Parts: sequence; structure tokens; C-alpha cells
Amino acid sequence: MRLGDVAWRGLAARPLRTALTVLGVALGVAVLAATLIASQATTETVRRAAQELYGSAELRVRAFDAEGFTPRSVTMLRQIPGVLNAAAVSEKRGQVAVEPDRVFPMLLLGLDPADEELIRPHRVASGTFLDPGQPEGVLLTERWARDNGFGIGDELLLNGRRQGVPPVRVVGLVADTGFGALASGSVMVLNRPFLANAFEIPVPVRYVDLQLAPGRGDEVQAAIDAGFTEPFVIETVADAELQLDRAQAGFAGLAFLFSIVALAVGAFLVANTLGMTVAERTREIGLLRAAGTTSRQVLGIVLRQGAFLALAGSVAGVLLGMLVAVALIAFLQSTRAVLVTGVPFHPGALLLAALLGIAVTLAAAALPALAAARVSPLDALRPSRQPGRRLGDRLPWMAALVGGAVLLGLLAYPLDRGRGSPAGVLLGAGILLAGTLLAAVLLQPTSVVVGRPFEWLFGAEGLLGRANLGRDRVRTALTVGALTIGLAAVVALGSVSASARATADRWVTSILPGGYGVRLGVADEVDAIRPTIEGITGARLATPIVETPAVVIRGGAAHEALLAGIDPTVFQDEGALIFTQGRRSAAFEALRRGGAVLVPEPVAVRDGLSVGEGIEVALPGEPSHRLEVAGVVAYSLPSRGADGALLVSLAEARELFGVTRGELWAVARQPGVPENTFRSAVMETALGLGGQALTAADLADELGRTLGRLVGLFDVLALLAVLIGGLGVVNTLAMGVGERAREIAILRSHGMTVGQVQAMVVAEAAIIGAVGGLAAVGIGLLVAWTTVTLAGPREFAAGLALPWGVLAAVVLLGIGVASVAGIYPARAAARTSITENLRHFE
Amino acid sequence: MPAILEARDLVKRYPVGPRAVDALRGVSLTVDEGEFVAIMGTSGSGKSTMLHLLGGLDRPTSGEVVIDGVNISRLDDEQATLTRRAKTGFVFQFFNLIPLLTVAENVALPFVIAGESWAQHRARVDELLEMVGLAEKAAHRPDQLSAGEQQRVALARALATEPAILLADEPTGNLDYTTGTEILDLLWDSSERLGQTIVLVTHAAHAAAYADRVLVVQDGAILDEIALGRRRDHEARPLIARLAALGL
Ligand SMILES: Nc1ncnc2c1ncn2[C@@H]1O[C@H](COP(=O)(O)OP(=O)(O)O)[C@@H](O)[C@H]1O
Ligand SMILES: [Mg+2]
Repeated sequence: MRLGDVAWRGLAARPLRTALTVLGVALGVAVLAATLIASQATTETVRRAAQELYGSAELRVRAFDAEGFTPRSVTMLRQIPGVLNAAAVSEKRGQVAVEPDRVFPMLLLGLDPADEELIRPHRVASGTFLDPGQPEGVLLTERWARDNGFGIGDELLLNGRRQGVPPVRVVGLVADTGFGALASGSVMVLNRPFLANAFEIPVPVRYVDLQLAPGRGDEVQAAIDAGFTEPFVIETVADAELQLDRAQAGFAGLAFLFSIVALAVGAFLVANTLGMTVAERTREIGLLRAAGTTSRQVLGIVLRQGAFLALAGSVAGVLLGMLVAVALIAFLQSTRAVLVTGVPFHPGALLLAALLGIAVTLAAAALPALAAARVSPLDALRPSRQPGRRLGDRLPWMAALVGGAVLLGLLAYPLDRGRGSPAGVLLGAGILLAGTLLAAVLLQPTSVVVGRPFEWLFGAEGLLGRANLGRDRVRTALTVGALTIGLAAVVALGSVSASARATADRWVTSILPGGYGVRLGVADEVDAIRPTIEGITGARLATPIVETPAVVIRGGAAHEALLAGIDPTVFQDEGALIFTQGRRSAAFEALRRGGAVLVPEPVAVRDGLSVGEGIEVALPGEPSHRLEVAGVVAYSLPSRGADGALLVSLAEARELFGVTRGELWAVARQPGVPENTFRSAVMETALGLGGQALTAADLADELGRTLGRLVGLFDVLALLAVLIGGLGVVNTLAMGVGERAREIAILRSHGMTVGQVQAMVVAEAAIIGAVGGLAAVGIGLLVAWTTVTLAGPREFAAGLALPWGVLAAVVLLGIGVASVAGIYPARAAARTSITENLRHFE
Repeated sequence: MPAILEARDLVKRYPVGPRAVDALRGVSLTVDEGEFVAIMGTSGSGKSTMLHLLGGLDRPTSGEVVIDGVNISRLDDEQATLTRRAKTGFVFQFFNLIPLLTVAENVALPFVIAGESWAQHRARVDELLEMVGLAEKAAHRPDQLSAGEQQRVALARALATEPAILLADEPTGNLDYTTGTEILDLLWDSSERLGQTIVLVTHAAHAAAYADRVLVVQDGAILDEIALGRRRDHEARPLIARLAALGL
């Protein structure tokens, strides 16, 4: 027998414990591998989608304002020398109905099939592409059609269509990339001439994609700049990529945070298991030492065990991770929160996950290995392990372990191409792990209090169960810690999303006075439409919000901006807008007087603007106007960038900038009119105008939905971490039961029934779960609070919201998971033979 | 005196690999209420096995054990446990105490196991600790006590509910002579004052000399029975002489 065999036999002697530990490491590595694969998949999908959106087009000429391009401009672009092909695309946000009560908001896109074929691939999954000979034919994305139960040959109606416009008919289903990647797949592709004339107000061309002869790019741009009279912006495929990527909601960074968490839990498990094994074998190790084994050799034995766990866990984890990745990506696709198709198994990502898993596991194994190396030959002679080993001895090691895990994360982070701030992600991970350590330290005093209800519930068994927690504090602390981390992540997610939702509510109500709205889909003359909207039954008031793209001149350069006109009196009376700078009444008074503008907080912060300063605003190609900042508002209407719109009065918008058309109307309900009645009335009018009815609540829901889905996904990852923590509970309790066999025999000999023994172990588990759950609430809220505090002022302006339901659920979940984890050890305890364990020493 | 403990033809067979070891090969005995019985024998003769079966800690391969009229060999584990809880108290040679609980808590354990609040039995616990001379150490942990003190706590616990039968497996085996004698005196007291039935397993003649009757076990069977009668002096010489006559 070689000394190395001792390591294998040590693992083989406890097959269940070894298997659980390998599984724990494997789950951690699997989550890491899966998130790496998934974020790679999103990156690739975004790139591919952007490429498919452009096809062979090199430049996109986008109309600057809502009026779009005239047919003449399109022809002119087509004829520029060096342009091989041009494809014009028209666009309208509209609604499609099957029956009056089944209405879908959709992005309507008008294409010219002949031009399209030359420019970009359209991946038709079934049916055919558009055919000019069949003008009412449309394409849907395959997934959207399936989700909503549509197929080829189905007919749909465009809401607000002109009289005599026939229903459209589905002729083909396209893949989720290309145009299908827009608007989360709620896209309908139509023949452009059909779409242009389907509504009272013509749907204009919004952009033209140009395929150029090789090497003629500069020449064409110069020609456009020189010859084009309508305002335009030039975009490239990189812009499209950036924009699609922005919609990924920081997926990669968050995903990475969770994989680090899962891995850290795996590390806790390894440290704990090997620590237990070493403690259990102290006597044997002492004998080995007495027989002349050096402490280096002992170190080697434990490290060998760690290496086995690391290798087996990581290999299994990578394989499992590929499965998890498939499930994760399928889930992401189904939520549409993140743009993703395909599962790219890059060897690099898998290798990285495996290596990280091995490194973290080995680091975790170092702790018990060193403890084993310190065992003295005299330990072989001591009668038994002394209970209540001190926590302080090993605390620095655990802190080092945690620091190491976070550092490894930092090293690996750039490989993950996350766009979220790595500092923020690591801060989150750091708080999570440090908090867990703290919880471990505070475990003992906490369990006395937390254990009370269980003592009351379980009686003697609860008392004994709680007392058992003090037996090996390090072990218990690590077990609770491993369980806490995942639960804390659930709490953090829940409160961050509740805070985001509260902020969304505030945002929407602050920019939509009255709480109801009508979005027309295309801007229309305010004065012409006013009577219709004011005529909504039960409406107390209706106020238009007009918008125009503009430029702000800053440092000699022109920057794209959105300018919105509002009625200051209505907004003031309705209590809309939240001012972060400037007095509310003074600001509205200034808007009424003219020459004043309200700027959204992000703009004010970025440009260092404060009340009283002036900014230059212009329509493209026109002289600029100087406006004085009368106030800074927390939220404004969304613009294409992250800025939000600059706000002026309606009169100013009309007189200085000539804006008389608006797409959005805010409507308020008369007191006494039932909400449902009013909502139907708004809806009816909106449909009549080819638009869409809005309510503040729906809008906030819509804003929260993407986040909600992502939170759902990360909850799943966090729950995997909780599962790993549960494995730790099984391990620890099974070990404790084995160690206490004699005590259990004594208790049984004094009349404790099998049921009582089981209850004792389950009570111990439940207390671990309760402490873990309560600690998780504290730590999770701390993480959420930090996130909310450190994030930009806009994202969480409503402050930290407490999701009471989630908090309660997490504590119950902790108790539940731990109790279930206690079942196996409880059964093992129940099987403990009285006589065999009494005989041992007699 | 009526019999409180009865064993009928007890056989205990342990499978060891392909063969089997017969730890007990047909033991029958009767213990009367209030009797103090010692079981003697060499190491491996089957003393502990016998005591475990008598106390219902294990089931015989065949044969029956009747405690106070209840045939526990026919009960399921739950019922057997409850009978044990109600009728018996145990003291073992080593590690009788739960290390996490204080001395007082260890003594209160039978009440706690029975689901009773231990505040309710505080006075009784104090009284027991007083009796074994450990009132001062009520709040200590077992590892802060000497072996003799630990054994006194174990005895106090076994007596806590005043069980009809006290079963002790070499309670003095781990102690020096003087300390061992303190334990034996305590056993004798409770036999005298409470009329408790005591079955004491020991291989020491001076301990067995406290008993009214000594059963000598060899190779899983009762070799002989030595009636000493109730004696206050616990003089060991007559017993030693009888044992010598048996060639032990
Ligand atoms: N679980 C067991 N498996 C196999 N043999 C056993 C077991 N328990 C006891 N024995 C055997 O039964 C015999 C009697 O044991 P025991 O009652 O402990 O003896 P004593 O207490 O008199 O020293 C011994 O030979 C012992 O080896
Ligand atoms: Mg014995």
C-alpha cells in the first residue's frame, strides 16, 4: 500500500459524502459553464442579428424626424453613383387584431421584396417570402406566431386601417434573427406599398439601406452630405449591434455574478467536507504521524483528495453545464428578455469553467489540508474530539478563501465580455460572501434566538437539535453560509426588481399626467385630433405631448437629442414631473413665459447643467435657439439614447421649432367614472385612430416585464446555489449523526423513540435553514441597498423597495430546503443501532 | 416477591461473515421486584448482550423478555421504547453523558425525552444532584467533570424518573476502587430506600458482593447462581470463595 492510497480510501470510505461533494462542485461549475456559454451565445446572436439586419448593406441612411423620407429622396439615394442596391424600409408601431378583444401591439415594417432579395437574407422558416403580386401577404416571426397560435394562411386586421383595406394574410414565418430580432419578435413584415396606404396617415420610409460598390464608401457619403436636403443620420452595422446589445439588460454581468456565487457555494462545500473528513480522522492522522508520516505527506493526502474532488466535479460540471446551457438558452429565448439563438460550445469557455472550478476547489481544500498537517501524533491518544472547536482559528482562512474566489472572478471577468461594470458585479459578490462569513460568525447567538420557536415546536428534540449546532461551529458556520449565499441572492434580486418596479411606477405616472394615454403610432396634427381625444366619454382632460428630434449644440458640436412639447399648466396642475433641481412652480411659470427648458437628470449630470444656465437647441440645418434651464426632472419621455427628452412648452415647440404634430396624448378620467368603463372608452378611441391605448399601470408592467423575466432566470440560478447549499446540509448532518451514534444510542436507551430521533435531526436542519434564511434576508437587502444606492439616480429613484413576500418566502425556503436535506440524515440516525454503538467501548 | 423481569430461553446470534456467533445460547432467568442481581463473567461471555436484551435495547434471535408483565419481545420498536422509557434506567461504562448539555440538563434528559417541561422537574433534578453530591456542579459541562463524577451524573439520570428497574453495565469498570465504591453505595441506597430492582453487570467480585444474588455467565449461558442474601456489609469473601469453587 502506498501513502496515496490513504487518500482514495478516505474518499471511498464515505461514498455518499464524496458523491454529494462532487455533485456540489459539479453544480457550481455547471452554472459557471452555462452562464459563460449563454453570454457567449447572446454576444454571437447580437452580432449575427445586426449583420442580418444589414445584410450586404454598408450604410443605413435614417430619416432624422418622424416625417420620414419622401419617395423622391429614396430615388435620389438609389441613383448616387457607387450605390449598387438600395432597400427602403418603412416602419410604424401599430396594433393587429384577430377579434375585437384580441389585440397585439406590433412593429409594422414595410419592405420591397425585390430590393430585399438583393440586400439581405431573410430566413423563411416556412411558407414563402413577400410577393408584390399578393399585396396583403405578411410575414411573422416563427416564435411569435407559435406563442400566439398563428400559422400560415391566418388573417389579421390592422387596427385603425382606412376604409376598404382588406385583412392581411400570413404567407410566411421568419426566424428570430434579422428583422425578427426587433421588438422582441413582435414584428409584422408587410409589402411596403400596402403598408404605406393602409392608414389615413401614410406610413413613411424611415431608412434606406445601401449596398455599395467596393471602395466607394467615402464617395457615396460625400454625395449624400452634399445632395440631401432632408435631415438624416448615417448608421452602420456597428450602431445596430450596439443598440441591440443595449437591450440585453446587463445580462452577462449579472449572469457572471451568479456563477461566481454558485462556485463559491461549491467551495464552501469542499472546505466543509474535507474539514469534516479531517476532523473525523484526527485520530488516524495522529497514528500516521506517530508512525513517521511527515506533515507534508499528510498535507499531500488531503490535497490529493481535494484534487480528486476538483477534477471529478469539474469534468462532471462541464458536462452538466452543457445541459444547463441548453436549458438556460431555451429559457432565455422563451422570455425574449435576451436576444439569443443557438448553443455555442466553445472549448475555451468550457475549459475556463473547468479550470476555475479546479482552482477554487483546490483553494478550498487547502484549508482542511493545512489543518490536517497540524495534527500532532499526540492527537491519536486523546480520547475523543473536543466539541465546540473555535471559529476564530479558521476565520482568517475562510476570509482568504472568499477573497481568492472574488479575485479569480476578477481575473476571469474580462474574458466574459460583460458590459455591466465589473466593479459593481464584484462589489455585489464581495458583499454576498463577506456577509455570509459574518452570518457564520454570528451563528451561535442567532441560533439561540432563532431556535426558540423550534424548541417550542419540537420540544426536547428541538432543544437537542439546537444544542447540536454548537458542536462544531466551523462546520455549522460553513453549512449555514453555503445555504445563505443562494438565498441572499434571491433576496437581492427580489428587492432590486421591486425597487426597479417602484421606480418604473413613479416614472410612468410622472410623465403621463392623468394616468391614461393614447399613442397614435404616427404623429398627427394636434389641433385636428384634439376634439376626438377630448371627446372620449368620461375624460376630464386631454393633453398632447409632441416630439421632434433636435440637436443640442455643446462644445461647438451638435448632439442628437429629443425635444418634447408639453402643456405646462396641465402638467403642473396634475402634479406630473419630479423635480430634482429648481422650484416646481417657478419652473412651470418659466415654461409658460417661454425661452425655458426642463432637462432630464442624466443630461444635467453629464453636461454639468444647473438651473439658470443656457443651452443651444436647434432643428437640424436650422438656426439654434438659446433656452434657459428652468429645472431638472428625474424622469422624462424616453429618447433613442439613454438621455430622455428635453421638455419645452407646446407653444414654444410650435413657434420656435414648428412642431404641430404629436403622437402621444395623456388623458385623465373624470371622478366617478369607473376605471374599466373609462379604459374601454380610451381603447375604443385609440383603435379608431389606428393607435394604442395606454395606462400608467400597463406601461410600468411593460417596463418591468423584461426585468421580471431576467429576475426569474437568475432566481433559477440562485436556486441552484441553494440546492448546492442543501447538499452541504445533508453532508454536515449525516456526518454529525455518524459522530453522535453513541449519544443517539444513549438517548434511545433512555426511551427516545425513533420518531423523536428523526425529529431531532430535522429540527437541527430546520434551525440551520431558518438561520440561513434570516441571514440571507439581511445580506440580500444589504446587496440590494448597495445596488440601489450605487446605481444611477434614474434607475432606482424610488429607493429600496422591500418585497415582503419574497423575504418571507426565502426564510420558508431556507427552512424547507434544509428540512428536506435533513431527511436522509434523520433516517440514518433512526437506523442507528443502540447495542452496536454501546458495545464499541465495552 | 413477584417477578418484575423475566427472560425465557434467550438466544442471540450474530452473523459474522459466513458463520454465526452465538452470544447467548438459551438464557432463562427471573428477577424479583426489589432484588439486587449481579451478572458476572469474563470478557466476551455475553454479559452486555444479556443486559441489552433484558432492557429491551435489542431483540433476541429467539426467546422472550417480560418486563413488569409486558412481553417486550412482541412489541414494535415504538412500543418497546415507550416501555423502556417507563420502566428502566441505564448506566453504562463510558460516555454516558451528552457533552453539549450541562450536568443538570443531562439529569433532566428523561423528563425532556418524555416531552415534559424540565422547569416542572427542577426540584427533582436538584434533589438528585444533591443525592449524588454534585449540586455545586449543576451548570458544568460533562467534560469538566472527573470520570467518577460523570458516572454519578449518569446514575442520577438513570434514577430521575424512579424507574422500577435499573440496569448498569460495568458502571465502575472505568473507576478506581474508592470512586467505584461511591457509585455502588449509591446503587445500594436506591435499592434500599426505593426498593428498586437492580441488575448490575460486572466482572469485579467486590462489586458483585453488593448483590443479593450473583449469576455467573460463561460462553453465553448461565453457569451458576450464587445466592448471597441481603447483606449490609457487602463482604466479598464468601462470594470469592464460591467463585473459586467454580474454578473461576
Ligand atoms: N454486533 C456483534 N457482532 C458480532 N459479534 C458480537 C456482536 N456483539 C457481541 N458480539 C460477540 O458476542 C459475544 C458476547 O459479547 P458481549 O455481550 O459484549 O460480552 P461481555 O459484555 O460479556 O464482554 C462476544 O464474543 C462478542 O464478540
Ligand atoms: Mg460488556
